[in-house]
Order: sequence, then C-alpha cells, then structure tokens
Amino acid sequence: MKQHISKLTKIIGWILFLLAIAAFCVQLGFLYVDAKFQATYIDNRLFYIINIFCIFSLVLAVLVLLRLTKRFKIVLTSIVVVFIVVQAVMLIGSNQEIKNITSVSPDWKHVLSIKENTETGNAVYYRSYYGILARPKEKLPYETSGEFKVEWLAKDVAAVTYKTADNTIQQYVGTYGDRGSGRSYYYVGAEIHGKWQGNNIEVISDTKGITVTENGESELFDWDSIHQFGTLAVVLKKNDEAVWTISLNENFEVHSAASEKTVGTISLYKATMGDSQPIILRYKGSN
Amino acid sequence: MKKFILSAAGAILIGLIIVTVIYHQNVNEVTYPQLGQLNKGQDNQNSQNNLEQPRSEQLQPINRNDTITYTLQNNELNITFNKGKDWIKVPVEKDLLFEGEYNGSEQELIENSYVLTEERAAFLYSKGPSWDQKGILVTYSLDQGKTWVTTVVTKPFPAMRFRKIDFLNDQFGYIILSGDRTMSQEYSIVYLTHDGGKTWKATKQPPTTRLIASGGFVDETTGFLSYGTINPEEPNVYVTQDGGETWAHAVFHIPKKYDQIFVQAEVPVKEKSHLAVVVNQGPNGDYAGGEVKGKFISEDNGKTWEFSKEVQPNETAYQ
Repeated sequence: MKQHISKLTKIIGWILFLLAIAAFCVQLGFLYVDAKFQATYIDNRLFYIINIFCIFSLVLAVLVLLRLTKRFKIVLTSIVVVFIVVQAVMLIGSNQEIKNITSVSPDWKHVLSIKENTETGNAVYYRSYYGILARPKEKLPYETSGEFKVEWLAKDVAAVTYKTADNTIQQYVGTYGDRGSGRSYYYVGAEIHGKWQGNNIEVISDTKGITVTENGESELFDWDSIHQFGTLAVVLKKNDEAVWTISLNENFEVHSAASEKTVGTISLYKATMGDSQPIILRYKGSN
Repeated sequence: MKKFILSAAGAILIGLIIVTVIYHQNVNEVTYPQLGQLNKGQDNQNSQNNLEQPRSEQLQPINRNDTITYTLQNNELNITFNKGKDWIKVPVEKDLLFEGEYNGSEQELIENSYVLTEERAAFLYSKGPSWDQKGILVTYSLDQGKTWVTTVVTKPFPAMRFRKIDFLNDQFGYIILSGDRTMSQEYSIVYLTHDGGKTWKATKQPPTTRLIASGGFVDETTGFLSYGTINPEEPNVYVTQDGGETWAHAVFHIPKKYDQIFVQAEVPVKEKSHLAVVVNQGPNGDYAGGEVKGKFISEDNGKTWEFSKEVQPNETAYQ
C-alpha cells in the first residue's frame, strides 16, 4: 500500500515537474511571439498567473520527488513565497497602469479584449488569436475614463459601453462572425429594412434612417449618425453620443437577393452605464 | 537524479525572473495596431467599411526610423517630433496639400513641398474658392506645432506643378513654383523670404518656359533653376547671383564623351572654395546602367561649369 502511494506521488511529482517545464516554455514562446509578431497575452495578467502556476508546480514537484532536509525545505519555500508575492504585486500594479477588460463569449469561442492606458485614457481593442494571444486591432475613438461594461448580444457580438473623458457614453462593438456567406460585405441597416417589434419598442429601418420608438416616443437616426461594426451591428448616435446598438442575432439570415423573406431576429441594446438588457425584436413586415 | 531535478528547477526559477524583467519593461505600454496588419478569420471590419464611415485609426509614422516625421492617416496631416509618441495635427486640409497638377496616390506628401525639422515645420499648398482665385499659401510653426502661422505667398496662381520650399537659415528661405503648363511649356518663378517666412517676395522670372526639373539656392544671393524634364539633351540651368534680380544661362563644358549623356542638372551645393553639381542622365539615360552621374565644378559661382568626374550610384557626390 505504502509502495503504491509512493509510486502514485512520484507520478504526480513528475507530472507537476513537466507542467512547470511546459509553463516555462509557454512563457519563452510568448516572449518570442511578442517580439516577432507584436502579439501579447489577451489579458496582461495571464503572464503573472502562468509564472505563479509554473513556480508552484515546480516546488510541489521538488518537494514530492526529492527527500530534502528540513532546512532546505524552509529555504525553498521562502524563496517561492517571495517569488509569488512579487509576481502578485506586479500583477496588481500592471493592471492599474494598463487596465485589462476581458470578456469570454457565452460559447467560449471568442474573447473580447480591451486594454486601457489609465494615465492617458487611450484604449485599444485587441483581437484574439489561438485563445490566449491577441494583437491590437484599433484604438477606441474617444479618450476613455476607465468605466467599461461588456454585454454579449450574441455568441459573436460583444457590445462595449464606456464613458469617455468628457462624460459622454459611447459604444464599441466587437464582432467575430457573419450572417451571410462570410465572403462579402453587407450593410446591417439595409439588411434590417422594414419594421421590427419587441417589448414596447418598435424599430423601423427605411431610406431616411432608423427610427426607434420607445414607449410612444420616436427618435429618427439618419444614416450619417449610424456607425456599423463588422457586419453584425450598428451603433445609433445622437450629438456624438451612442444611444442604441442594434445587432443581428444568430438566427438572422442575410440573403444576397433583396426579394427573399427576412428571417431571424435582431437585438436592441441601450447605451447606458446602468442596467440594461438587450431587447429581442421580431420582424413585422416592410413598411 | 536529484541533481538533475534541482538544477532544472534552479534554471527555471532564474529563467522566470529574467523573463519577468524583460516582460515588465514592455508591459506598461499599450501597443497600437500597425498599418497593414493582416486580420485573419471572420473579421469584416476593414476598408470597405471606411467608404461609408471613415473610422479613426491609430497614427503610424510614415517613416518609422525618423524621429521627426508625419502621417496622412485619417485624411489629415499629423506630425510628430518623437517617433510617433505624440502627434500634432497640422491645421491644413489634406486635399489642399495635393492641389494643382499632381497624380500620385496621396499616401505621402509631395517631395520638397514641406520642411519638417526640429526648428521649423512648414507646408506649401494651394487654396482658393475657384481655379482662377487660388493662392499659394505656407502654413508654418516655429515651436513644434504649438502655434501656427499662415501666410499668402502669391495670389492668384495658376494650377501649380513643380513646388519646392526650403530654408537655408532661420531667416532666409525660398519657394520655387511652376504652373499653367500647356504641353511642355510652363511658367516658373521663385519667391524669397528674409524674415523666416512671414513675407514672400517674387523674383524676376527666368527667361524660359521649359518645364522645370529642380532648383535651389546655395546662399542668399546665389540660386539655380534646372530645366528639362521630358527629353533633355544637355543641362539647361539658369543662375542668379543677385537674389533673383537677374537670371543668366549657365554654361556647361561637357566632354565630347559625355555629350547627350549627362543632361539634367540637380541642385548645386557649396564645396570648399567652389560650387559643385551632379548632372544625371535624365529619365531615359542608359549610359553604364543609367544611374551614373557626372560631377561638375564651378569656380565662378555657378556661371560656368567644368567636368570633374563620374559619380557611381552608390558613392557620395559631394565632400
């Protein structure tokens, strides 16, 4: 029995040891990719977490695999504790300088990542590659104030609502998919041409623009104040401030022929830093 | 075995510390997207979108190696004095910088149409409500973009083709313009400033209507205009030694061997006690590969020029 346990601990020890080596190799690989391709971790904190994981596995492996004197164990443990504390401090410190806004999609396939330089208010939207790596895609057009709210309107649409330095509300939409063939660009505003209805809310998209009627009050957004993101969402703006985001749900079908029937639903999402839930709207025919 | 595990553990620990140090040096910067970065996968946020709604993109210097440089992204002109860390918007509409006879891609500023140094940023352009009321303007800053001054060089001026602005010191500068081209004839003229660009004064017109190829001043009184762009057969240079009051045809003594080979003079420079200029083979030259130039020396301040040597494409022409 004892032998059995010791065999098992040995196996666990070696697994831990290999995990530590693997984590170390990941970090080395990351540094190379960072230097060569400007790819970084999707969340800067990952770097420190992997470090902590690596050293933690390493020490456990050493303690399990080797018979060490008590003094040696104490020295080893204190080195590791110091190392982990330093990494944790760095993790917290770095996130205060560069704030990471990271959100995983409901189906775990995409990661929305925004990194904000808290000092300058410059925020950059990153696109993820291979899950944990990311590359900068574009700078958010306004100086941010540090308040962000992320809501996934669909499996592949993430609406980011944020407050700017001059106290306006803006929305940025990360899109990770397509409702058409995936090969051609189309305009969301044109695809949702017609009347849409949901709970106390009506949206009409026509040649003038998009009209949103909420509790009997209508507001028209002309095409100049409608900004499209990818091929999945538009943000409706008034006085240079975001008011609504409209996105195409997963069941929405984009047809190349205008004559085909509109299939699927859309989501309407209010731009506010408070609580807001996306409202599902159904097609009620052309005007 | 014990030795192996301990040394591997030690190596990883030291390695992690080094990796952390390297990482920590870069982590406090948000990297910005680069131009032309490939977007893989399902990502349709691309240029097609910009047709309808230009989106602001992160500014990237036109030349990454220069500390002082510019960018024309987002349909505006921005300049930087620190490799793109900070950008200053130049108060000139981008389209105006390409007014006149220009048929490039508008990706880069027209060569010689601007001055961008630590002491001075100046941009030469044309502006006006209609074609017969367009003036030539210079917008410049002497404090790295904190304040800007716009001056009118001349008005009206026909559609501008050749344009060059340069300063020899903080007071003296020149502008060479050509315009109103019809076939291979055009009007060319030089303007000078003696007060750092505040006011510009026209010089006498050189007695030629050929197309101008290049030009420049070597000091406040001595300037050159080099003509012939399409099929030049010999260097055609006009020189002034009195700040543009009079222009005289410069004489080039070309050895027979190089007759009709070195045909287009570039801008002369001061070299020790004399002036030197390289004469290139024009657009159609094919002598020794077409890139070799002839160097000429003038001992009388640019009136007459004697051949000195051939200059290979990779060697510096002037000492």
